[in-house]
Amino acid sequence: MSAARSERGGTGKSLTWRTRLRRDKSLLLMTVPAVVLLLVFNYAPLFGLVTAFQYYDPLDGVRNSEWAGLAQFQQLFNDPLFWGALKNTLWLSLVQLVLFFPVPIALALLLNTVLSERLRNFIQSVVYLPHFFSWVLAITIFQQMLGGAGVLNHFLRQHDMQPWDITTNPHTFALLITSQAVWKEAGWGIIVFLAALAAINTDLYEAAAADGAGRWRRMWHITLPGLRGVIVLMLVLRLGNALSVGFEQFLIQREAVGHETADVLDTFSFYYGIANGNYSFGAAAGLFKSVISLLLIWGANKLAHVFGEDGLYRK
Amino acid sequence: MRQGLNRRSFLSSAATVAGAAAVAPLLSACGGGGGKHKSGANTEQGMKAALPAYVPNTAVPADIPGVSGGSNGAVTDPGFLSYPANPVATVQGVPGKGGSYTAVTPLWGTVPPAGNSFYQAMNKALGVSFEMKPADGNNYNTIIPTMTAAKKLPDWINLPAWWNSNFNTGGLADSQLADLTPYLAGDKIKQYPNLAAIPTGAWQTGVWGDKLYGIPCFSTAMPLPGAVFYRRDLLEAKGITADQVKSADDMMNLGKELTDAKGGVWAFDDVWTYLSIAWGIPAKWTLKDGKLVHKYELPEFLEALDWHYKLASAGYLHPDAIAGNNSDAGTRFYAGKTLIGGGGLGAWNLADHQSGIAADPNYRRGAFNIMTASGTGNPQIFMGSSSSMLSYLNAKLKPEQIEELLAVANYLAAPYGSAEYTLINFGVEGVHYNRVNGVPTATDEGKKDVQATTFPFLAAPPSVISNPGGDQVTKDYTAWQAANVKTLYKPLFWNMNLSMPQQIASADSGQAVEDTIKDCYHGKKKVSDVQAAISTWKSNGGDRLKQWMTDNVLSKYGTGQ
Repeated sequence: MSAARSERGGTGKSLTWRTRLRRDKSLLLMTVPAVVLLLVFNYAPLFGLVTAFQYYDPLDGVRNSEWAGLAQFQQLFNDPLFWGALKNTLWLSLVQLVLFFPVPIALALLLNTVLSERLRNFIQSVVYLPHFFSWVLAITIFQQMLGGAGVLNHFLRQHDMQPWDITTNPHTFALLITSQAVWKEAGWGIIVFLAALAAINTDLYEAAAADGAGRWRRMWHITLPGLRGVIVLMLVLRLGNALSVGFEQFLIQREAVGHETADVLDTFSFYYGIANGNYSFGAAAGLFKSVISLLLIWGANKLAHVFGEDGLYRK
Repeated sequence: MRQGLNRRSFLSSAATVAGAAAVAPLLSACGGGGGKHKSGANTEQGMKAALPAYVPNTAVPADIPGVSGGSNGAVTDPGFLSYPANPVATVQGVPGKGGSYTAVTPLWGTVPPAGNSFYQAMNKALGVSFEMKPADGNNYNTIIPTMTAAKKLPDWINLPAWWNSNFNTGGLADSQLADLTPYLAGDKIKQYPNLAAIPTGAWQTGVWGDKLYGIPCFSTAMPLPGAVFYRRDLLEAKGITADQVKSADDMMNLGKELTDAKGGVWAFDDVWTYLSIAWGIPAKWTLKDGKLVHKYELPEFLEALDWHYKLASAGYLHPDAIAGNNSDAGTRFYAGKTLIGGGGLGAWNLADHQSGIAADPNYRRGAFNIMTASGTGNPQIFMGSSSSMLSYLNAKLKPEQIEELLAVANYLAAPYGSAEYTLINFGVEGVHYNRVNGVPTATDEGKKDVQATTFPFLAAPPSVISNPGGDQVTKDYTAWQAANVKTLYKPLFWNMNLSMPQQIASADSGQAVEDTIKDCYHGKKKVSDVQAAISTWKSNGGDRLKQWMTDNVLSKYGTGQ
């Protein structure tokens, strides 16, 4: 890899920017629409962050709203509900990292061992499908099955057993939302791993098999190293998004388990900011989240480089 | 101009009071953009001078006349059992003079195509060329601020009163909305007889700074927050009638008697919002020894919570209600999975009846009378706003244009059952509706173009109870209103549309407390947890809120009662 890098570096230096521009003209042109989209929808709204330092009023506009300085942040950091929401976010993120993240990888490996293409396509379609359901639908299905008036509890009551309401139990909420996430998203998550699996040279397997390597050894020495780059990339992205564990899923189930259990940073911004017309407070909470996320993704990327992986970009 | 700062440091609102004792409503001190704002509030005399006279309309007599509640000023909505066979015209000729106008109204439904046959028929009848621009009702509170910020209001616009603070209606009135006082104050309204039949209380919600700006759209003299409903057919089949249920204990016993979890039936859906009133809890504030007390601080508030906590813990509340699945509450009620549930009175109508009998042919909705928790003493329920929606004209209109639109408004406010009302609500006979057993029934074209309600959001007659084809509903609902009309009272700061500085408003909405209350009446948090949330709320802004209300509202403008 280091040889490749120096080679690229060499050509880069020896060409003037004008030559490079001419060489990459068509490539650059192709990126223009994406860059424009990014500028308009991701960078331009960044100026709205100034509202986090104001007492923003939509009628007065950003320009005429009263300046608040750090008052919104002061209020935010003094709010026990905010710290509760942060704690919930981190906890749920950790649970999902441990229990959700490995599932698509395992699924992809399993699916890869299925030889019949027909069967494989069928399984793939079945596990993809829930991704296209909305959260409302997914949660309704869970409630109909596991809720207090759902199938499970109806059965328990019919047979004179104690009902067991899983959907309103705050203590097992982390497991509930993770299982919902697995049900809905794990199938979709395997796509990227399947692509990486397809990219592994099959000659390697044949050579290893000829040398007497069994199924497990081939997985350990060929498949997993082949997947490592993608796994690390997904992990870096996941860590960077550690503070975004979802929104609708919590919004819908907030009443079921209570706000102290279900409030994550995003729902906190919504309920205590936007829903009350307290836009600046919500913006402050959002800005806080973004800054921490930036630090997380930067840290995770650094770590990936330390271990010799590409991370988000090649160093 | 530092309007933001000024608006905040002042009280920006119109506090309007329906009923007898007029309290000086508060006006937006400053706001909007013109820079010529007057600070100050409505004065008692000023408001009296701005309000129009009230002349009841008797063009279409009701089958079940309204019943007065006496000193509280409430009157039940009149009931109509049949739709008049030959609707009478209340407006002579064509009101308009051929002007062209734009109008924006909220619409909860699919936007009908522009220039459709119904709009054409309306334009012809009104004698003006209207460009109707219905906007999504669910996002209305975010759509309108972009228009007001750009100072691009249409000629006529509907602004729901419950979003007054979002819209800064007080500031708008001062700069971008037309002052209607010169056209409508006192006896001047008599040239618009249908507008004159709108009750005074509703007009008061449109007064800002001693001037009349708003035209009430949906007004009532029976402004009730809601009621505790029950499945009358199923309870009566078990020998239970509403008059046997007189107290909270009776309610709890009903929970025990009616809940059959094994059979999938729970006695209760959420009732907190409407049943807690039985403990004497005020809308928000009450006065004790001349001092403001918030409802959170009242011992009866905690008592009510405790009872609701017990109701949920005892297992009498439907599990899906506990899970916060409110959108299916109607389905549960129709299917008989829940038998008692709280809700707004808007639910008591023909559509509800039709959905109910589709699920169960015997379906009949009933409501418990307003009660006290102890079962003794006088039951009381606070009034809501007299008109929840108002429309406003653009300040840029010329006087003759305003007169033309007021004449149109007079047409739109024609009473229930009149020829004008029939056109506005059902369209043209043979095109948009046909008479089926005397009942105007929408055709497909009518469903698409007319039932997507637009014109009544500009002006409409006072509300009536009418459910053509569902007479039982009309009889039940009017009877219930008549039985309860005397229990209404005017709460503190009634019809005062207060808007507050942001920090105060956050404390006023008390989101953290409200969340914990919800957890408590769902049996997930104890009353002591709510007490803890209340004391945090008090130190985090609740006490400041009380001080602000005392200084800026109570001591300046009084109680509004």
